[in-house]
Formats: sequence, structure tokens, C-alpha cells
Amino acid sequence: RSRAQVDATLRAARLNPGELLPAVHCLRFGPHAAAGQCCLLQLEPGLCAELEAGRSLVIRGEKDEQAVLCSKDKTYDMKIADTSNMLLFIPGCKTPEQLNADPSSCNIIHSQIAGFSNNYWELRRCRPKLKKLRKLLMEDPYEGPDSRKDQALTVSKYTTEDLLSLIQASEEEILHQLQAIDACKIEGYWRILEFDYEMKLLNHVTQLIDSESWSLSKVPLRTCLEELGSLEPREMIEHILLSYGRKYVDDGEVYFEMHEDKICRAIAQMLLQNAVKFNLSEFQEVWQQSVPEGMTTRIDQLKGLALVDKSSRPETISLLKVEDLPEDNQERFNSLFGIREKWTEVDITPYIQDLCAEKQSVGALLTKYARSSTLNGVKVYNSRRPIS
Amino acid sequence: SGSAGALAQWVLVELQGEVEPRQSGSLAGSLLGDLHYTCEGVPVLIVGHHILYGKVVQLEKPFAVLVKEGAAPQDSPGEPHGHYTVTALIKTKLLFKTRPKPIITHVPKKV
Repeated sequence: RSRAQVDATLRAARLNPGELLPAVHCLRFGPHAAAGQCCLLQLEPGLCAELEAGRSLVIRGEKDEQAVLCSKDKTYDMKIADTSNMLLFIPGCKTPEQLNADPSSCNIIHSQIAGFSNNYWELRRCRPKLKKLRKLLMEDPYEGPDSRKDQALTVSKYTTEDLLSLIQASEEEILHQLQAIDACKIEGYWRILEFDYEMKLLNHVTQLIDSESWSLSKVPLRTCLEELGSLEPREMIEHILLSYGRKYVDDGEVYFEMHEDKICRAIAQMLLQNAVKFNLSEFQEVWQQSVPEGMTTRIDQLKGLALVDKSSRPETISLLKVEDLPEDNQERFNSLFGIREKWTEVDITPYIQDLCAEKQSVGALLTKYARSSTLNGVKVYNSRRPIS
Repeated sequence: SGSAGALAQWVLVELQGEVEPRQSGSLAGSLLGDLHYTCEGVPVLIVGHHILYGKVVQLEKPFAVLVKEGAAPQDSPGEPHGHYTVTALIKTKLLFKTRPKPIITHVPKKV
């Protein structure tokens, strides 16, 4: 297309060249414009800056999963948005500012339209889908170095790379969750300890603390490794201390401040998993006797782990782990209302807390998924729909 | 996945309706039209026998242009799975919302 042709078109259109900037873009469809290989992704705040800084975005999801987009530390649901308009994407097309800023800009700019679309991907920040992480690691929990099972080649094991390709979450969210569930790396693979083995390790440590009369807030790493190193691998001793304590350095020596609540909680789980239901007061007695000297048990240590039934006579307690419940919001509520028809906010909160989106409150979730009523002067929540 | 080096900046042109080739056949290589700007910065697009007036919009939510790696075009529109490269960013769009003004090239004279 020549200047003469462009000017002829302007004359036919009765446009005054004097009112126009001298540069014109002649738009033509590029050779692959209609191939549909390009698509548009609408960016949430922060993502544009990340891309410009050279960081990657990854789309994750297997064939049977809804795709998500992950930045380094966040996860987004992806949804197609349709528009009734046609969107053309044009490389090298200049804005009036750019043309005015550069007086030497070409008179005729031949621009190729790289592609066009009437839809684009929309993003919505979502909770990372981490339940699968625990599920994968629970396929083959680590039972200790003497376990014959671990020597079999068919053991299900995952490296960080494996997890990154299988879990619909950002790398940071995955690494954070691995720490939260006390996973450890054994020979390059992420493993979760089998509960009985974990309790065995914990028991070694608590017995040693007792026999040495150490303060619970100053457990020396070096002595633990010396005394227990003949019973268990050193990495496992250190791992259990890290899982159940806070590491710090004092005068060049490494110590651990033990988490009383976490230890009491683990021992409660050990007791509760042996039966469906316990008499509450009997359980509390046995539990207190089972924890290390100097530790005090409290029912609120068991949030998200056990459920107390105050309506039965005698009162009972049973194991209910939040990580065993469904990840999807509606399914989670269905499951909870299937277990108990009416819940107080205090009782249900530990079992729905993890569902809250970034700025969402438990109250907002309850408003959306439950119906409230008053029972004996207390506000309770039940299902919005009949539960079969 | 991400990109190395500075990302190209492209521009989005938003038009009403659909784009169809003048003669039947592929769009590849065919002309869309001339894009001018008035001295005040108003984009003017001449497409066929129409003049479209638009405006420059700075996008609140910029777009990334993703190119799917692999030879074949997308098998189904809703299939995001696969490897993508961010080719460019789009922070500006030229929005043409006004009704096209037809260009009348020949006015018959009254006899």
C-alpha cells in the first residue's frame, strides 16, 4: 500500500489530512493470524510486573482437572470470558503519544495483525489445591530405615519436580505446605512419616527429656543425637525435633523449644485412633497421664482433630481430622452436616477455616453455605439443603 | 512459561462484529484497513467503505499474549493444557465502539 493509495482513501472518506497525524498504520492480516495459536490472558494486579521482571507463569492441571495458573507464589482459577466484540492483536502498533514523541516515525507503518479472538482467559485468585499433595505422600509413608517395604522398587516417591508437575499450586505454596505437614526429604524424595513411626521417634525424644530432666524449652540437639543416634537415623531425630519444636541457637549450641500443644495433640491422636468414640472424661484422664511431665492437656489443643459431643450422656469425643474432609467448599459442608446436623460456630470453625479465601471470614462462608437458627438460646448452623 | 529479555508491547484493537475475508478464502495476507490518528489523538480506522472513530484506552488489567507451543492449532477452544510462551504484553487498546460511518463514494447527480 503506497502513500498515494492511502491519500486517495482519505479523500474518498472526506477526511482532512491536516487534522491527522502524518503517520498511518496499514493493517494487514499476518500469515498465521487465523491459525488460533495465540490467545489472550487477562492479568491480575502484580502478574504483569512479574512477567516484565522475567518471571514465569505456569498453567497446571491434568486432563481431568480444571486448569489453574500459578505464579511463583499464587494460584488462580482460569475461566474463558466471551466478548461480543472482535479483539485484534497487533505488534508494533504505535499510540499517538509514541508517534508524537518520535518525530522521525515512518510515514507508512505496515503492521501485521498477529491474531484475533472473541474471547480471553480470565483469572481469579483461588486457594491452592493442596489436598492432592498429602494424598500423594500418603501413598507410601516412610516407616523407618528398617522397613522392608521401602526397599521395594515400586514404592511411590516424589521429588520436588514431580510435585510441581502434579500439584495445582505455586511453588511457594507447595513448599510451604510441605513444611506445614512436616514432610521431610529422604534421599531426594519428599516423604511423610507413617504415624506410628513418628510417635516412636517422638517417644524417644520425650523419654530422653524426662530422664535428663531438661527444660522443655531447652532441648539440646547434640545430646539427642549422641544418645539416640544408635536407635534411629540422625536425620530422623533432627526431623522430629524440627517438627515438634522451634530451633534456636544459644552460645553456639543448637537447642529446641518444644511445642507443648503439638505434642499433646499428637498423643491425643494416638489414643483416639484406636476406637470410634471415647467417654470424654475417661479420655481426658488417660490423655493427661500420657503426655510428658510438665505438659498440660487442654481440649482446645484438639481443634480440627477431634470432635466433642456435648449432647450425649456421657459426653464423648471422637477423631475427626480436617485433612480427611473434602477440599471443595460445598462438598466440605455436605460432609460436615452429614456428620452432625447442627453445629455451633465455635465447633465448626476449625473445620472450615482453611476454606476461607484471602479476605473472606468464616462468617461469610457460613452465610453462603449454611442456614442459621437458634437452639436452646444458642445460634446453630445447619445445611441449606436436605442431606440424604 | 516465561520469557527471557524484554517483552514486546503490542496493542489491542477492539471492533464490533466479526471479521470476514472480502473474497472467500483465508484471511492471511489480506488488508484490514488504514489506521490514522487525529491531531488530538483520536484513532480513526478506515475499513472497506466504513470510517470508525475510536478511543485509546489504557487497560486496567493488561493482557499477556500466549502462544501455544506445538504445531497444531488448539484442538478445542476450552483446552488450556499444554506449554505456552508469553510472547507479548498488551497495555493499550484502541476501542472502536461507534457505529461505522459508511463512505459514500458516488453521489448521483440529479438530472
